[in-house]
Amino acid sequence: MTDAIHNPADELPIKVAARDVTVSYSGKQALHNVSIDIPDRSVTAFIGPSGCGKSTFLRCLNRMNDTIEGAKVGGSLTIDGQEINDKSIDPVVLRASVGMVFQKPNPFPKSIYDNVAYGPRIHGLALSRPELDEIVENALHKAGLWAEVSDRLAHPGTSLSGGQQQRLVIARAIAVNPEVILMDEPCSALDPIATARIEELIDELRENYCIIIVTHSMQQAARVSQQTAFFHMGNLVEYGPTEDIFTNPRDTRTQDYITGRFG
Amino acid sequence: MSIIAIVALAIIVMLAGAFYVGRSRAIAAVAGATAGLHSLPNYHGYYVAIWTGLPAFLLLAVYGMFGTPLVDRLTASELRRDAVVLTADFEAELVADTATRDLEEALTMLRARAAAITNSMADLRDASGSDRDPHRLEALGVEQTELVNQIATAEEARLARRNMLRDAVARAAAEDGASLRALAGFELVHAPRERRQLFLSDARRIATDGLASRSSDELDAAAAVMARHDTQMRNLFAGLALALAVAGLIRTRGQVAVAFRARNHVESLVTAMLFLSSVIAILTTVGIVFSLLFESIRFFSTVPLTEFLFGLQWSPQIALRADQVGQSGAFGAVPLFAGTAMITLIAMVVAVPIGLLSAIYLSEYAGPRFRLTAKPILEILAGIPTVVYGFFALLTVGPAIRSFFAMVGIDDVVTQSALSAGLVMGVMIIPFISSLSDDVINSVPQSLRDGSYAMGATKSETIGRVIMPAALPGIVGAVLLAVSRAVGETMIVVMAAGQGANLTANPLESVTTITVQIVMLLTGDQEFDSPKTLSAFALGLVLFVITLLMNVIALRVVQRYREKYD
Amino acid sequence: MTDTPDISPIRSAVSKNLGARYRAELRFRAAGLAAVAAAVGILIVLLSSIVSGGLPAFTVNELELTVDLEREVIDPLGDGSEESLRRGGYSRVLQSAMRAEFPEVQARRDLRNLFSLYTALNATRLMDEVLENPGLIGSRHVFTMPLADDLDLYLKGLLVEDRVLDTDGALSLSVEGDAVTVRSSATDFRDLAGEFARTLRARATLLEVEADTLAERAEGLSGNDAEDMLYDAELNRRRALDIRATLERDAGPLALDASLPSVLVEVDGRAVALTSIAADGATASGRFLLGSEPVDAMSDWTLYVIDTPAERRRVSDQLIVWTRALEARGVISSAFNTYLFANADSREPELAGVKGALFGSILTMIITITISVPIGVFTALYLEEYAPKNRFTALIEVNINNLAAVPSIVFGLLGLAVFINAFGLPRSAPLVGGLVLSLMTLPTVIIATRAALKAVPQSIRQAALAVGASRTQTVFHHVLPLAAPGILTGSIIGLAQAMGETAPLLMIGMVAFIADAPTLGLEGFTQPATVMPVQIFLWSDGAERAFEARTAAAILVLLALMIGFNALAIYLRRRFERRW
Repeated sequence: MTDAIHNPADELPIKVAARDVTVSYSGKQALHNVSIDIPDRSVTAFIGPSGCGKSTFLRCLNRMNDTIEGAKVGGSLTIDGQEINDKSIDPVVLRASVGMVFQKPNPFPKSIYDNVAYGPRIHGLALSRPELDEIVENALHKAGLWAEVSDRLAHPGTSLSGGQQQRLVIARAIAVNPEVILMDEPCSALDPIATARIEELIDELRENYCIIIVTHSMQQAARVSQQTAFFHMGNLVEYGPTEDIFTNPRDTRTQDYITGRFG
Repeated sequence: MSIIAIVALAIIVMLAGAFYVGRSRAIAAVAGATAGLHSLPNYHGYYVAIWTGLPAFLLLAVYGMFGTPLVDRLTASELRRDAVVLTADFEAELVADTATRDLEEALTMLRARAAAITNSMADLRDASGSDRDPHRLEALGVEQTELVNQIATAEEARLARRNMLRDAVARAAAEDGASLRALAGFELVHAPRERRQLFLSDARRIATDGLASRSSDELDAAAAVMARHDTQMRNLFAGLALALAVAGLIRTRGQVAVAFRARNHVESLVTAMLFLSSVIAILTTVGIVFSLLFESIRFFSTVPLTEFLFGLQWSPQIALRADQVGQSGAFGAVPLFAGTAMITLIAMVVAVPIGLLSAIYLSEYAGPRFRLTAKPILEILAGIPTVVYGFFALLTVGPAIRSFFAMVGIDDVVTQSALSAGLVMGVMIIPFISSLSDDVINSVPQSLRDGSYAMGATKSETIGRVIMPAALPGIVGAVLLAVSRAVGETMIVVMAAGQGANLTANPLESVTTITVQIVMLLTGDQEFDSPKTLSAFALGLVLFVITLLMNVIALRVVQRYREKYD
Repeated sequence: MTDTPDISPIRSAVSKNLGARYRAELRFRAAGLAAVAAAVGILIVLLSSIVSGGLPAFTVNELELTVDLEREVIDPLGDGSEESLRRGGYSRVLQSAMRAEFPEVQARRDLRNLFSLYTALNATRLMDEVLENPGLIGSRHVFTMPLADDLDLYLKGLLVEDRVLDTDGALSLSVEGDAVTVRSSATDFRDLAGEFARTLRARATLLEVEADTLAERAEGLSGNDAEDMLYDAELNRRRALDIRATLERDAGPLALDASLPSVLVEVDGRAVALTSIAADGATASGRFLLGSEPVDAMSDWTLYVIDTPAERRRVSDQLIVWTRALEARGVISSAFNTYLFANADSREPELAGVKGALFGSILTMIITITISVPIGVFTALYLEEYAPKNRFTALIEVNINNLAAVPSIVFGLLGLAVFINAFGLPRSAPLVGGLVLSLMTLPTVIIATRAALKAVPQSIRQAALAVGASRTQTVFHHVLPLAAPGILTGSIIGLAQAMGETAPLLMIGMVAFIADAPTLGLEGFTQPATVMPVQIFLWSDGAERAFEARTAAAILVLLALMIGFNALAIYLRRRFERRW
């Protein structure tokens, strides 16, 4: 699939580069030789039918596959040119610099403040309480949640609405100022209004982060992403600028998928 | 073979017959075309058989349960009737006896004086300033002890006199040729309560050719009466059962017809039986509550509730004490509550960390193979009978603690201590805590773990900062259940904690608990109406209420928690 | 990577305190592993202490005496009737057999001592043997009986510390009146004498140290306490002085008393207990415990030391000598302990067995099974398959959950108040015990059955109902058979629990000493009985040391039964497990 390796947005530096990444769960291969270059400060969407390997690949980027028994990852994956599957790379450090947002909002059973402060606290990023307050406020601002929750930071995170919870989780992820943010179908559990809010937010965050989003909805991919990668049966089928993929797909499978013939 | 067994056999035979009759009549009713029947022929058979056998067997079961006490009661009342004349003689003799009268008068006087002293002692205790005279209080105390002793002596003398008169009346009657049955009745009526039971059971043994504890002509006479009643009762019940069976057979046999809804009848009977079974659980609770309440109320009529709940002294065995009013011993249960609390605390200090940490390790760290080996081993700990733990505490842990403290220079440690009972109880509770916490930890959604790991948290950070806070209500519930189990645990403390009702905070001393005292009070000889025996039920009530409350709270907490994540 | 210059700020910030975080992680993980190890370790300690304590009780040392069953002794009426045989003097038969073994024992006190090698209850056992087989009358018969408990422990090496020393010289015994002079051609006693002297010196030093401590403590006190302490200190000093004085008396013989180890010299069927060892280390004086003849220069002899001093053990030198002699003559042999299984409880540990408790347990469990399983299954069926969802059903459910947590002793109180006092059922009977235990087990059976019923998929019920079966037919023809393995497993586990339960049975009087096993029949249900766990409780309280091993052995029997039950449950679960 080497022909997929190209940088669709040539003006942006490459953040993440994958070469021949394979993943198997207890011997069952889930991802076949994926190679891809993902640019910084833009949104890259992974689309494809369920079980196509897009989430699996996403979970390779912060080594979340380590937590699954029997998962094996092969090939080379670099962030800023550094091999992340290398023995010398600590998953804790990696994950601190690669934030992740999940399908279902998963705020911890703590207050809103403590949720956002979780990362800075475990990593020891704030030396004093005012410093921590500042980090939390910044993160909530960036996540566009500050106005809604500034008066009830001590309330439990689970008391927020679904969309707010998802933004809280995003705030939690950016509180440690990561380099890459992974989003695994972040809007699939939300109503359309909350979804629109999140999409707006993703667009704003693009300024500062490399964002990779897995989505089921092609409309969403078209709306928020600059690059789109289409996965099918564990293979990366096609990758390019979002416009090209949606208007002029090269592969028939891509075409069938985006025209709704399967998926 | 007894008539009851013969009848039971006959009913079983009838049962088979009834089934056959019901079935064949149903087939005959449609001339073999069974599809025309509303219910299958077998259901007709079942229907007839149930009504033939069930009432009769229920009656026999009632006889099995209550036949013996009923016969005892009948025998006793007949013997009592026979002894009416003798009893009257004895009463007259008693009234006429001057010695008895003197003793009774003396007793009344002594009691009045004791009451007066009690009052003035109470006044003195409440007094203040110059009226407060410790010497006088002491003197009064001495006098009170003296009086209590005198009352006891006088009471004994009165009883002895009464027995003497009773024996004299019996002897005179025997010489006058009174019937043996009258003598037996007289003996029965005037024997103390526990003797009466023995008398009747001896009579029963003689009547059934068993080995009695003694033999006398009176007993033989009583046995004859009992044998008569026994036979009558037996014949009565056997006849009734047989009649019920026959009546059931005849009645239901007539009902069998083409349109008869035998299946519905049988099924509603089955449903009724299932329903009645489930009522037994309720009946058990009702039985527990009533038996505890009933005896406790009797106890609290002699010992005030406040003294029981807040009194600092527990010595139900000692009847006479200088600083106690009356002869009932001391029933302040605070030392028992304190002992129970201390042992429970020690047990929790052992069980909660070990149980919780093992649960965490097994569910979060251990590989599948390690988990598969370690979990059953923990379950073995749960399956070991508590008496074995008690023996372990007594034989291994107690001496080990003793020699450990001797090694560090503390010599006077007893083998039976709160510490050894608490430690072993803690071990017993480890699997309880670990399996409950395991459930709770596993029900924390995976998404929370993923969220934490994705933030770059280590496993222990995830456990300590996300999983534990999320699981906390469930774990609190588990600990509460464990506490309730520790409070109600009996054998370990009976064997390992000793019996001294010490009010102490030193875990190396022997303490006593609610359950130990219940066992102490109710094993061995007991007079059923004494406050000593009744206090066991009061303790049982306390135990029941405590465990019930904790259980209800724990179940609530766990249920809330479940709802949150389900 | 940490030294890469273009590293992002977050990565370097996180890397800074990574070490401490990983150490904390390691500590936590280690704590978890330690907790599991502690639990497993405790289990191992528990089981091994019980196994090692219980194993000795599975063997027994038996005396095989040849007894003369003379007609005139055991059949006083001379008609061979049971009545006559019951009046026979079986103790005398046993006693004369013992006297035949040791003809030199004549004094009354010594004889009483001799007869304490076995318990008198064995006479009854002999009578039972004769009653069973009247052909034995007038014959010589080999009668086997267990050795007294303490001597049994002695032979198993559990009662005293002892050793046999090497000897070099030839031994001579010379007799002067009661005293015996023991002479060896080598200095065989010298090491012993030195050892004892050291022991005595150490004892004197200890006494002096204690005296000093007491005197010191007394200084800080006044009044009676101080005086008492000073008195004790003085007493200790004087005792120490005495000991030293005896030791210093040079060349004098070293006297052996009850506070020192016993030294026995065994030679050619004789046994001498030494009372003093002479300074030369080759001569000693003593007294005969067995035999009375002098011996001249025999090189085959045994020097046997019992290190546990006589004042700290329950058996005398004399009894030990007799036991050793009987063992040497082959009269005592070790065998599998059948008494443990063939007998009911007894006051004498060597005759006590678990048969009565085992039968009591069986009878009690029969009642428990016949009551708790049907009622429990019916209740669960009603709640799961029939009950309308209303207040009353909710009440029953809450009730069952709470009953499961009621302490077992409360069920005992219920049994006492309701079954015994109100219904007048007999005390101590398996019937009442079974009733109480079934009420206690009921919640377990109900909960297990409901879980099994819940596991049967709804589709099976719908399929049955769809072909026109009634609800009862659906339940009894389809649901119940499918749930049966689960129900069976749950019930067995509940019953195993009930079998190990003790506390409620104490309340209803099943704690009495019962020397006869209940009959395994209908009448057995109302006979006084006890059960295995209660038997364990009773024995654990026994004064004799031999009961300790019996208790552990009884525990092993109980655990074996429970393991059997649980293994059955596991087997059934594996065999019939079904997954939908």
